[in-house]
Parts: sequence; C-alpha cells; structure tokens
Amino acid sequence: MFYLKVLEITSLYTILVLGVYLMTGLTGLFSLGQGAFVSIGAYTAAIAYLRFGVPFPLALALAVVMGAVLGFLVGIPTLRLRRDYFLLVTFGLSEMVRAALLYLAQLTGGALGIAGMPKRVGLPLILGSIVAITFITYSLKRTRFGRDCIAIRDDELAASMMGINVYAHKIKVFMISSAITAYGGSLYAFNILFIEPNLFNWLESAKLIIITFVGGLNSIAGVIIASTIYYSFGEFFRFIDVWRDVLLAVVVVLVIIFRPGGFLQGLELLPSKLRAMRRGR
Amino acid sequence: MNWNILLQQILNGISLGGVYALMAVGFGLIFNVLKFSNFSHGGVITLTAYIGFFLSQHLIPNFIVTFLITAVAGGLAAVAIERLVFRPIRRKGYPISMLIVNSITVAMLVQQFFAVTLGSNYYTYPVFIKETALHLGNLTVSKIYLLMLGISAVFLGGLSYVIRKTKIGIAIRAVSSDISTPSLMGVNVDFVISVAFFFSGVLGGITGYLLGMTFTVDPFIGNMILKGIIASIIGGMGSILGGVIAGLLLGAAESLLIAEIGAALTPIVIYGAIIVLLLVRPQGISGKIAEVKA
Repeated sequence: MFYLKVLEITSLYTILVLGVYLMTGLTGLFSLGQGAFVSIGAYTAAIAYLRFGVPFPLALALAVVMGAVLGFLVGIPTLRLRRDYFLLVTFGLSEMVRAALLYLAQLTGGALGIAGMPKRVGLPLILGSIVAITFITYSLKRTRFGRDCIAIRDDELAASMMGINVYAHKIKVFMISSAITAYGGSLYAFNILFIEPNLFNWLESAKLIIITFVGGLNSIAGVIIASTIYYSFGEFFRFIDVWRDVLLAVVVVLVIIFRPGGFLQGLELLPSKLRAMRRGR
Repeated sequence: MNWNILLQQILNGISLGGVYALMAVGFGLIFNVLKFSNFSHGGVITLTAYIGFFLSQHLIPNFIVTFLITAVAGGLAAVAIERLVFRPIRRKGYPISMLIVNSITVAMLVQQFFAVTLGSNYYTYPVFIKETALHLGNLTVSKIYLLMLGISAVFLGGLSYVIRKTKIGIAIRAVSSDISTPSLMGVNVDFVISVAFFFSGVLGGITGYLLGMTFTVDPFIGNMILKGIIASIIGGMGSILGGVIAGLLLGAAESLLIAEIGAALTPIVIYGAIIVLLLVRPQGISGKIAEVKA
C-alpha cells in the first residue's frame, strides 16, 4: 500500500516532468512558472467538479483547455523576445497566479485551499497517462515538427533561416506543454485530494527543468528514469531526505559539467536499441 | 487619499526601491556580460544575509565593518561560483542554456542548504541605528531607509563610474559587446568576467545585508531577486541607469499600490503590467537591449 502511494506520487511528478521535457528538452524554452499551470489545472478541475457539478472527465478536459489558453496568453508577448524574457516572466507568473488564487478566496477557498474531491484518480489512470504522453512526446520528437523544435533549440537564427516559423512553433510547444502540465495538476487534485495556493513554488518548477537536464535533453527515457529516482528517493532514504535537494543540486552541476548530454547521453531506451546493446554493438 | 499620505508612500517606496535597484544592476551586469539570467545572484543574496547576521551578532558589533566585510564576501562568493560552476561550461563552449540551468541549481543549492541547516529559525540583525525619524514638514523619513537609499546611491554611482571611466570598466564593456574579440586585443577575458562577477557579488552582498537588516533572515530571502529581475526588465536589461530608475519606480509603485488596493492585489497588477510592457515596449524604459549575436 505504501509503495503504491509512492509510485502514484512519483508518477504524478513524472507527468509534470514530461510536460517540461517537450518545452525545455526539445525546444530549449525555460519556464520557471510551471507551478502556475499545475495550480491552474488543479483548481480548474476541482472548482468545476465541486462548485459547478461538471462531470469528472469533462473537468479534466476543462483543466487541459485552461492550461493551453493561459499558455497562449503568456506566450504571445514573451516568446517573440529572446528566451530570457520568457524565463523571467514565467518566474513572475507563478507568483501572480498564487496571488490571484489567494485573492479570489470566494471561488478558490483562499489560503485554506480546496478539499473534498472524491478520489477519482488511481494508479492505472496515472500510468496510462504517462504511457500516452510519452508516446505523444516521442512521436512529436520524430515528426517534422519535433525536428524543427530541436533545430530551434540548437540555433534559433539558423532555424528561422531554414524557413521555420520560430515564434509559431514556440507558442505551439508552450501551449502543449502547459496543457500537459495542467492535466498533471488536475490529476494531482483528484489523487492527493487537497490543493492550496502554495502547491508548487518556483523551486518545484526549477526542479522539473533540472531533472530534464540530468536525464538528458535528447532522451525521454533518461528523463523518466531521472524523475522516478528523484521523486521516490525521499521515501526510501528517509534519514537523508532533507538533504535531497542539496544532493540533487550537486549531482546536477557535476552532470552538466562532465556529461552535458545527460546521464544516458541522449540514448533512447527502445526495444530495438536494447537488443542491439545486448548483442554488443 | 490626501497628498501627504501619497507622498509618504512614495518616499517609503523609493527607499526600498534603492535595494531593488541594487538587485537589478547586479543581475543586469552579468546578463550583459555573459547573456544569461543569473539566478545564482539570489543565492549570493541569501548567503550574505546570513554572513552579515552572524558577523554582526557574534563577532564584530559594528555596522560599517560588518557591512564592508559582507560586501566583499558577496563578491568573493560570486567569483567562486563563477570559477566552479560557470567557467567549466563556458570553456567547453556549451550552449547558454547550460549556464542558466547551473545558475538555477546554485540558487536552489543555497536556499535548500540554509533551509536544512538554519531554516527552523528566523534571525534578526542587532540594532545598530536607533529607529529615529526625520521630520520634513508633515512627512516622516526613517533614518534606516535614508541610510539604505544613501548606500545604494553611493555604490551604484561608484559602479557606474568604474564601468564608464576606468580601464577595467572599458574591458567589461568590450567583453559585453563581444566575448571573443577582446582577447585578440590583449584583454584577459576570464579575468574580466571574474571582475564583473565580483562587482555583481558586491552588489549582492550589500543587498543581502540591507534586506537582512530590514526584514528577518530566512532561507527564502533570496527570492526577493524576483523584484530585482522585474526592475531589470522594466529598465531594459542593458543599462545601469535604466535599472536604477526602474528599481525606484517599482518600489514607489509597489508601496502606492499596497496602500491603494491592498497587498493581495498588488502582485497581480504588477506582473500583469510587466506582460503588457513587454508587449508594447520590450526594450524597457532605457531603450537599450542586450543583443543576441549569431
């Protein structure tokens, strides 16, 4: 039972990491405001379900739409400029959403948060979502769209010279990412059953990025493994749990300096690749 | 609201705005030189807030001495961070995104380190200056606030002079506009970058000390860097003067808004305004922008 819970929470966070992977790993956009989208997703689903009696599946869909819309609104002014503005504005965004959730206390319960959601999200749904999102991300990575995104990440100017509409691509990627993150947030609300405005601060958002880099920008498998290890770590090593983030930070700095491709060096763990490795190629 | 209260709020805001300006310039300096958002500046602020506290509480109960030591400590900390974390990446020619990730990681490292070791307590600086106020007509100005504003002005003025007039300042500007060519002219780029980090760290140290003195010291004090970053965006990233004006404006606007519409709504209005500003005038008030070179 305990391990089930650990697995659930770890998997929830893995969904969020996958949302960031698409944006940071593939397109090279840094957002320190993913917390805002987690909150938006969680609150949208919870409020729709509890206050307006929207059926559960529709509430999740609503959360996804809200995430994408917010992503669109934030993306329009910031993604035209150089990446740093996007990073800095999203950093402020999580503060802004937090303030808004506190201010709209009548709707959101203010600092008390919202409780009383029924437990509608179990492990099967979460794992199923991970498989689906991984599949979508992996397919995207292999299509023309994904390759364009990688080109943008590696050299924006060159990409635009090749006729890629950088601005439109970035907005699309950010919207998809935000939608996935908001979806993760809505699952969170119906799994943990309690949400509050301080759910997810900038540090949590930063960790999502950091884990993406440890796993490797070109390796979805590496990212999933890194995220699973990190988020289940504390449950198994209670005695050093408080040092977890300090440890993570040191590991990250070392990985980035010595193995900039991530610890799997951009390797994708596909069945065919694994078989080839076993044969010693 | 009458004019008196309005002026009073603006005065209070401007003195806090001085600290925002310090942060904006410390952040903007590195942004100009290496073209990345240096979140580790927040880490330096947290670190020095603690250093300043322990020095003044336990070792040397003297304002000026502890203040100067803290400032230098901030500078050295920033240089150390640059050496350990940024230089290896820069040498290997990795993309800028790696620098950003490392700077975020350092910020997290410092915050979590203090959260684990000293996070259970809040620390208050000893009182060096009696909380007295000057009265100008109907307005009251706290001496501490005046001092903060004065210190910010002196250091920012000094930095501005160094950047504009001295040899090392010219070298910093040269490296800012092109990181590789100055080395052909006999400029030691690594050294110049170290110096830039030292200046930025000194500003961080001052910020940490002043913030620690005004509020209480906790591991999350470095998150105030957000205000500096906002000021930096408003000022247009590229210029010291822009950062200073924006810092003062932000401070004044913030305290006016808090008085007018309350503390809950203020951040929403400010961040909303930033997004609109970027839509309308992304180059900020100074009109200078750090260019991306191919």
